[in-house]
Amino acid sequence: MARRCVMADGQAASQTILVVGGGMSGLTAAVEAAEVGRDVILVEKRPYLGGRVAQLNKYFPKLCTPACGLEINYQRVRNNPRITVLTLTEVQEIQGSEGDYTVRLRENPRFVNEKCTACGECAKACDAEVDDEFNFGLSKVKAVGNGHNMAYPNRYAMSPEFAKTPEAEKLVAVCPVGAIEPKMEAKESTLHISSIIWATGWTPYDASKIRPYGYGRIPNVTTNMRIERMANKFGPSGGKIVRDDGKEIKNVAFIQCAGSRDHNYLPFCSRICCLASMKQTTYVREQFPDAKITIYYIDLRAMDRYEAFQKKIEADQGIRWIKSKPARIDADLESRSPIVIGEDTLTGVRYADKYDLVVLATGMEPNIAASPVPASGMTYDAYGFLANATTGIVGTGCATGPQDVSGSVQASTAAALKAIQSAAKARG
Amino acid sequence: MAYDLSFAKEVYKTSEVGYWIKMCMQCGVCAGSCPLGPHWEHSPRQLFQLVRAGKMEEVLKSDSMWMCTSCYNCIVRCPRGLPITHIVHGLARLAVEKGMADPKQPTRRFAVEVFWDNITSTGRVGEAGLTMKLYFIDGIGPGIQRGLEMKNQALGMLKTKRLNPIPFRSKIKGFAGFKAMLDKAFELEAKKESNA
Amino acid sequence: MEKKIGCYICTGCGINEALNVKTLTATVAKEQKIPLVKNHAMLCSPEGVEMIRNDMTSEGVNTFLIAACSPRVHVETFRFGTPMIERVNLREFAVWGQPDAATDKDAKEDAQALGEDLLRFGCIRVKKMNNPEPFEDPGLSKTILVVGGGYSGMTAAKGAADAGYDVVLVEKAVELGGKVAKMHRLTPANPSLPGKDGLQETGAKALCLAVETHPRIKLYKNARVKQTVGAPGLFDVTIDQAGSDTVERIGSIVVATGYNLYDPNKLGHLGYGASPDVITAWDFEQMAREGRIVRKSDGLPAKRVAFVQCAGSRDKNHLEYCSSTCCTVSMKQALYVIDQYKNEASTCVIYQEIRTPGQLEDFYRKAQNEGVVFVKGDVKQVAANSGGGVKVQVADKLLRGDESMEVDLLVLATGMTPNIDTTDPNVSSNLNLSDEERAKTVLNLDYRQGASLPSLKWGFPDSHYICFPYETRRTGIYVAGPARRPMGAASSATDAMGAALKAIQAVESISRGAAVHPRAGDLSYPSFRKEGCTQCKRCTEECPFGAINEDDKGNPQFNPTRCRRCGTCMGACPQKIISFANYSVDMIGAMIKGCEVPPAEDEKPRILVLACENDAYPALDMAGINRQKLNPYIRVIPVRCLGSVNLVWIADAMSTGYDGVMLLGCRHGDDYQCHFVRGSALAEIRLSKVAETLSRLQLDSARVRLTEINIMDVDRLPGLLDDFVKEVTALGEQPYKPF
Repeated sequence: MARRCVMADGQAASQTILVVGGGMSGLTAAVEAAEVGRDVILVEKRPYLGGRVAQLNKYFPKLCTPACGLEINYQRVRNNPRITVLTLTEVQEIQGSEGDYTVRLRENPRFVNEKCTACGECAKACDAEVDDEFNFGLSKVKAVGNGHNMAYPNRYAMSPEFAKTPEAEKLVAVCPVGAIEPKMEAKESTLHISSIIWATGWTPYDASKIRPYGYGRIPNVTTNMRIERMANKFGPSGGKIVRDDGKEIKNVAFIQCAGSRDHNYLPFCSRICCLASMKQTTYVREQFPDAKITIYYIDLRAMDRYEAFQKKIEADQGIRWIKSKPARIDADLESRSPIVIGEDTLTGVRYADKYDLVVLATGMEPNIAASPVPASGMTYDAYGFLANATTGIVGTGCATGPQDVSGSVQASTAAALKAIQSAAKARG
Repeated sequence: MAYDLSFAKEVYKTSEVGYWIKMCMQCGVCAGSCPLGPHWEHSPRQLFQLVRAGKMEEVLKSDSMWMCTSCYNCIVRCPRGLPITHIVHGLARLAVEKGMADPKQPTRRFAVEVFWDNITSTGRVGEAGLTMKLYFIDGIGPGIQRGLEMKNQALGMLKTKRLNPIPFRSKIKGFAGFKAMLDKAFELEAKKESNA
Repeated sequence: MEKKIGCYICTGCGINEALNVKTLTATVAKEQKIPLVKNHAMLCSPEGVEMIRNDMTSEGVNTFLIAACSPRVHVETFRFGTPMIERVNLREFAVWGQPDAATDKDAKEDAQALGEDLLRFGCIRVKKMNNPEPFEDPGLSKTILVVGGGYSGMTAAKGAADAGYDVVLVEKAVELGGKVAKMHRLTPANPSLPGKDGLQETGAKALCLAVETHPRIKLYKNARVKQTVGAPGLFDVTIDQAGSDTVERIGSIVVATGYNLYDPNKLGHLGYGASPDVITAWDFEQMAREGRIVRKSDGLPAKRVAFVQCAGSRDKNHLEYCSSTCCTVSMKQALYVIDQYKNEASTCVIYQEIRTPGQLEDFYRKAQNEGVVFVKGDVKQVAANSGGGVKVQVADKLLRGDESMEVDLLVLATGMTPNIDTTDPNVSSNLNLSDEERAKTVLNLDYRQGASLPSLKWGFPDSHYICFPYETRRTGIYVAGPARRPMGAASSATDAMGAALKAIQAVESISRGAAVHPRAGDLSYPSFRKEGCTQCKRCTEECPFGAINEDDKGNPQFNPTRCRRCGTCMGACPQKIISFANYSVDMIGAMIKGCEVPPAEDEKPRILVLACENDAYPALDMAGINRQKLNPYIRVIPVRCLGSVNLVWIADAMSTGYDGVMLLGCRHGDDYQCHFVRGSALAEIRLSKVAETLSRLQLDSARVRLTEINIMDVDRLPGLLDDFVKEVTALGEQPYKPF
């Protein structure tokens, strides 16, 4: 794909919109602005688009697959000559002001050039494996690959560590089209653009920081995002929700606000976790029709018409709802089963209940907190979320606060308008 | 009438860090964190809601806050950052001040009748004396009985040098300073109370 | 301009090894009579593309048949500035999807036959394809109508105007501002921002002023929309302002009519009516705005105030949904009391669940810190106190018992209902409104499918799509704010900006003659051969977007700018009079017939798969990418939507000698996945009627099947196809096979 910094039909570069982040929010913002007729450059730091939603098995409340909407959005990207996608790219520096920004980009090497046909011969020949970030470390993947089976663009990339090894050089000869380039180097470039949409999304909160819950220490304590991958048929366990010892699962607990609404971790509410756990009860039910399910919660937050979804899940008689934030999890070493300990606040009963699997409904850590916008004059809230105070650089999706998919899409559509307004101002 | 906030406001004001009670969101982590959890009549969370509901008697006459061993687990884990240990101690103190604490509450008796004298007389805890006094608090008969019940534990502790058998201990170095500090503290407390 | 077709067959990615490219080339050149056929070892390389570009100048090629890889890749590579391009998916279907062809002679033969048929399909398609002429009309307008001058409406109007678009804003009241302008303060949008944790000014005055003075906004106050005639870009909207009518030409519409409060008179069980001191949150807000918070009964200061959450919401006897803002509204209002009476205030919120998502959790903390007490429980009884105020009995869930409290005011946080009329598409009486009823509607659309927007649930005209929350069933009309889903001011502002963007996008697309989502940019639109019409009304009834009206005689009146190009009308028409320049009953019919069906004795069945291009086709494609074996006897023809499948294609398939026909489309029903709302559902209904036709032809109806599939069904798809092939073959010989 050739890079076009001055766009297709000669729209002035200064009216171009830069969208940072290729997840649902960024994709939406890019596509919506481009379909108005604006030129858009969409940069994504991973080798492929799709962000967090690409890792989800299903959406609440429809229980449909995110791949469906992603495919439509990829189609919109493919069919629209106004959108330029730059993967493996990060924004280094932003200078200037609304209507006239100079942005320095760094495109990290993919080590696989544009000739790649995604035929897969290199991966077949490659023995080296790396941790599979897409599957939250539940599996290993080849050091060269396309990320996941629905990746867009469907082009291979090589892990930078592997690219340095002699094995990488051997793959050069394997590729039938000469696409492997282990010596590929990072490229820097400068763009002139009118406005910026910042959509860098979120990372699941690191559950191992919640010490009393023993994630990483106690067997069969897992996280909601790992469950998404497990339940996905193209995931590491072929769609099966599994214990580490393969034993049958009869009793599953979900712990809400695992790291959210908690001043020790993330003080805000991550918004989606209640509904996500409700959704995940359907995964459990589908695979284990007789399983008992318990949801530990503080407040159930099924806002507006999501209420119907809560009602639907409540109809499952096999679910116990306990208003309680568990205090800790102990390990039953013999059975390798976690014991959840706390107080049921509606009965006052102290419980210590053993489960085959405990799912921590971990929240959202804003990526922007760790990598703020490299521009001056930005305002952030107490948790590092971007305030939408600056014109010209507009935050959207989970860069501004915890959001669900629909909310992110709404906000990103709105962000596209703000970006276009900036361009209109630049035009005068 | 419930949820009349006059009692709550009194607690918010008078007991050490009582105003933090406002911040409890009733999640229940404190109860689950407490090693003595099942022995409390009301968990800290319940106490806090009772305070907010204005249930003065239920709170101050309960022996719940006397169960705290100051392990600080609850403080560490409370998602709202409530200094629960301190709040609970404050409630106990308020109960004493208001004359509502049960004088027979064992923890209270231990604290008031045994521990205080023991520690202030020398500036350090005399374990043997402390134990003896606690065992014989209700007279000779029950004292002997308790002593026999705990015999094995005591011997075990002796053997592993976890118990000092000598009942009387010398005063700490600089005892006069220690005494002066205590007197000053009493003076400050008295002043605070007369102001309130 | 005369059509000049160039066919380019790529021989890379294993195509040359798996298929006999010479024969493929001959199929195109000799059999299909497209003389310009070229091969290239890597068509997607700069050299390959250069070869094609050279033909554009030297040979005048303007129509492209690219026989290479999937149409899901290299779209940018093979972009020649024209929609006159067709991709033949040799690689995924005939090479990667036939992994045993390299080693097995029979499999190689089957793969070759498949490749040839795919090429035939492609050839026929490009031959039948015409360059779509975009719809044009000199009267097209880019003006955006915003209905409703409240917070959402003003935000949308200003949003569009600031982007350079003319806006017409219609507000029924004498002044702008809506409900927000009548509020005392607002909940902070993000209380975690420095200095923004407390109550916020509404900002309504400044917003009203900005809208009133905006040079691009034309304001109609004390006015309403009387009638909306026409279609996006060409709406003629009659605005009745104090009795005098004006007609405005409008491009697209944002409906921001806000919400109504749930009728408190229905809340007797929560004490409404028991005492003047039981009031609604709205009335409380007005009191706070006026200044003194007092008991309604005697005017004495109301220092003890309790707020009841979910008053009429989350209640199967009232509003089943959560009204989403009441928790924070009550916190805000409790802060008014504390602000006024300081330490003497005593406020309490009686709740089911505290719903303060995201950073609003900080607002919950703030309310607590200021002294608001939260009681999880149900109001059981409310009685007036003789000395003023009320006594409330609460089943307290945390204290596990009934508790009584005395308060000066009991405030019911009533929920919101959408202030908009909607049509339940399942209730046909909604379509035949009386003039009087029509006059009460917000837009009074002259759509054959009703004057109102279709409802999604509970009367909210919200979108059914998670990924596309602005996609509804009326093109160019977008609903924003609480009219579409319960939401507060901050969310409404964002929603309004999004809706304004969509409205702008609609007028921009229409001005180019292009479709909006999901076929964004498509320049084709259906044309009607009117003389063939029998006035059967199927197209007018079935169009999921209400694009087709009827005249008095029942003739279809097509509105291209309402159209989303799914082809459902084309699928519905028994007379086959509806077609697109590049997609028609005739074209697909010819492709179906163009397949070389072997005689029965060859024992090589042929199955036609009509696959929805949105989900089913990508799933088939990915099966190929995964090197899963795709049954070599299937012949896939992508369709825009199963709704566009005309039953005549099934007859065509049967008379050509296919053993069976499989329709692969999206889920339908309540949680439908069809990108055109009803396409797959309609296909299912139509198919249920096909059995009769088949039996007339002495064919088992089991030869035709519709299977719901989603894009993730890649793994089970090959098996599904194999099973169908097996089942159909087991039915015995298809009597219409060629000899």
